[in-house]
Order: sequence, then C-alpha cells, then structure tokens
Amino acid sequence: MIGSIRLLFLALLLFTGQALADQMLMARINMKADLAIEYLKTAVDEHGYAVAHIQKCDSGLGGFGFHSDTYRVLFIGKLAEIRDISAKHPEFVAYLPLKIVVEAEKGETVMVAVDPLTFNRYYPNDQEMQIQFQRWRNDILSIFNDVHKAAGGAVALGTHPD
Amino acid sequence: MHLRGLMLLFLLLSSQALFARPDGKALYIEKCAACHQFAGGGGIGLPLSAEKFRDYSDDYLFKTIRLGRPGRIMPAFEDMSDAQVQSIIAFLRTRTQTRERVYDTSPLNGDAGHGRVLYTRNCIACHAEDGLGAGQGTGVTLSRKRSFLVMPAAIANPGFQQAATDRMIRQIITVGRESSGMPAWGKQLSEKDIDDLVAYVRVLGKQVPKRPELAEDEPPSHVYESPYDFETTVANIKATLVGNNFRIFPDRFLEQGVTDEFEVNRKQIGVRFCNFNELYGMLKIEPRLGVVLPCRVTIMERPDGKVILVVPNLRVISRWFNNDQLVELWDHMEETFNEIIEEATL
Repeated sequence: MIGSIRLLFLALLLFTGQALADQMLMARINMKADLAIEYLKTAVDEHGYAVAHIQKCDSGLGGFGFHSDTYRVLFIGKLAEIRDISAKHPEFVAYLPLKIVVEAEKGETVMVAVDPLTFNRYYPNDQEMQIQFQRWRNDILSIFNDVHKAAGGAVALGTHPD
Repeated sequence: MHLRGLMLLFLLLSSQALFARPDGKALYIEKCAACHQFAGGGGIGLPLSAEKFRDYSDDYLFKTIRLGRPGRIMPAFEDMSDAQVQSIIAFLRTRTQTRERVYDTSPLNGDAGHGRVLYTRNCIACHAEDGLGAGQGTGVTLSRKRSFLVMPAAIANPGFQQAATDRMIRQIITVGRESSGMPAWGKQLSEKDIDDLVAYVRVLGKQVPKRPELAEDEPPSHVYESPYDFETTVANIKATLVGNNFRIFPDRFLEQGVTDEFEVNRKQIGVRFCNFNELYGMLKIEPRLGVVLPCRVTIMERPDGKVILVVPNLRVISRWFNNDQLVELWDHMEETFNEIIEEATL
C-alpha cells in the first residue's frame, strides 16, 4: 500500500510537473481585476479554503507614480492545516496563511502565488509536508484554472498596455 | 495490486504526453504569457515585438529561454525538452510574422579600449557603467510609466552574453530599437566603431560581479524564544517597530478569518508592519512582492508556556524572485529585522 502511495506521489509529480524554473505560480486572465477577485474568492471557497483576509495595497501606489489600478493580496487557509502545521512546524507559520496576489494590468489580471514546492528543500525527509506542499500547489493551480475558465477560457489578446 | 496497475497506467499515459508533439501556443500560454502577455505586449516581462524578433536568431531565443536572465526576473526554463522550447519559438515566429536571422558565429575583433570610450559617450546613460541597465525594475507594469515600455537591456547579464553572438549584438546596435528609444547607431558610427563597441560589451560581460550566494543550510524562517510573557512580547515588538519607523497594522490572529472569533487561538498573533516609502520602492523593483507581504512577526505561546517569535528569512525569500536588486535590498533589511527582534527580546 505504501509502495502504491509513493507511486501515486511520483505520478502526481510527473503529471503536474510544471516548471520549477521559477518559484512563482502565475496566471494571466482576460478579465478585469475587480471581477477576477470575485471569481477567485468563489474558486478558493470551492476548494475548501477560507479567504481569511484581503489586503488592499494600491491606495497609495498612485501617489508614488505607479500605474496599477488594483493590487490586492488574498490570504487563504484551512483551519485544520494551520493548526496542525503551527503545532508540528512552528517555524512555518511565517508563511501561513497562503497568499495570492491579484494585480490589474488594464483590462487583464495577473494572479501570483509562491510555488509551495519551493519549501520542499527545507523538509527533505518529511513526506507529510511534501505531500502538503504538492496539494497546495495542485489547489492553487486548480483555483487559477477555475478563474481562467470563468473568464471564458480566452487568453488575453490585448496589445501593449498604454 | 489493482491500484498498482492503475498507477502504472497513469504513469504510462503521462509519459506518452511527454513524447507527444509539443504545442507551442499552449506552452507559451502556460509558461510565458503571465509575464509577457499573450500578444507579447509585455507586463512583468519585456515586450516580445516583431521589431526585436527580426534581429534575433532562433539560437538566441533558444538559449534565452533555457538560460533566462540570472538575477533579472526571467527564469531559466531547464525543465522543458528541446522540442518544447523549439515549439514556443516556432509559435513566436508565427505570431510576430518574422523569420529567423542567421548570423555567422565567428567572433568579431574589435578594439575594446576604443569601444569603452564610445560606450561611455553613447551608451552608459541607459545601459549603465556596468552594462546591467540603468534604473530599477523591469517590464512595463507598475514600476514604469506606460509610455516608456522597456527597461534598458542588461547587456552584461550572463544569460544575454551566452545567448547573443557578436554579430547579433552588432546588428542590434546598428539598427537600434525604435520602440524603446535606442538610436540606430549605424547612422552615426562606422562599422569599425560598432565592432569596437561589441568588443567592450564582451568585456562588460566578464566584469559582472558574482551573484551573492546563499548558504545551503539557510533556514526559511527564524524562530526566537522570548524571555517575556506573551502580552509583554507583543508590546515590546510593537514599540520596537514604531521606534524603527514602521507603521503597524491592526493585529491579526493566525487563525483569524479561517474560523469564528470564539474558536480562534488568541495566543498566536501576527504583528504586521510596513514602511510605505520602502514598500513602494520595492514594488518598483519587484511587482510580485505582494506574495510575501506585509512584513510580519508571528508571536505564539506554545503549550509548554514558552513564547516564540517567528519571522521569515528575508535572505531566502528575496532569492525566490530571481531579482538581484531585491536581493541586495533585502539582505540589508534582514539585518534590520534581526536587530528589531533582538531589541524586543533583550
């Protein structure tokens, strides 16, 4: 049975073996940010996470010469996971709850999260944590995909932002 | 046994997917569009315009995707097969309606000494003395006015140096980049002058300082034990942060928002803080920084009564972005964080 679980884990790694070229998971969708945030909240909820908090970061950006309409950070988490990890791995609470950045680029929206597999190297012998990181990664990608589908699945076809 | 069979079937199907003919458009959307935008207009990444692609060889594009730009946000895509990278290039060729420009790969024999004089006179304002590009940030988003589309190229960057041949660099200098304001130097300089400039660009590539390395055992966060009780520790941290010119946000319990107010553990609190001048300066350098913001010290009372403080290791975090400007800033900020914790737990 344990052999099968290991095989499943390997299969998942192969199947979702997206670029570890970068430590960020990113998606761009052809939808305005305020609407994308609503879809994102729904997708987060449907994946069993709670939106703990939304941090608004854009109110002062214009005054500093920035040109972004919206910049938000969504904090998402599951109570059971936060309790379990804070008890067993208090050092990891620095990264909880998980965060998703939503950034407007005119009529498009970019979503960014740290790739949870980034943390694998710090828990090389902890299979439980490694499975947790893989699960978070799968969920974040699935959440991004749901928002992408909600935008009609169309890729952003715009040209240079002016 | 049945489960094992299913797993093997799943692995087989996955491996078949790996050997299928790659779809360049799908790969571009998956790997590139988030930064470069689907139409290549650019965002966090630079625009991928026909004007540029006309001067690029496919070998340059291949090496650029493979090697990335170390320390300049663009990651190295080492996980893709050669066929996958080539399919992305083929897609980009179709989309930009350009054909590969093939260059003789033999090196030019310019005079780097004279090239330096020309570089100082004509190039330094945009590409900087070290060839790593003047100004902060990259791409067209957030940090830049929309009317100014690109950061000057980091021509000394090891990724560019390995990807570009001498003759391709000569071509770019000769024709310039109208969209980003780079003049066509072929109208002002002789062919020999431009060869001399290329020679100096190669010298700059050899002078790039080694990137700051991180120790293998560097932890992702720091855990400190407080000699004080929970409430005193929280009060000390806040007082120290204010003393260091940080603005403090309202406290948030670690579990706040994921459970109701009666269930939440009140002995796990995040003291969140920010210095907006520094924050906006950092967002100029790295638009994705929000994934690790705001700065926070988490204070927890453990079941044995010990009070601990947990802070992220900024030296580790800053390296997630492949952005050397951020690394430099946050290595310094890490020291400030440590001093704050030390002061609060004295």
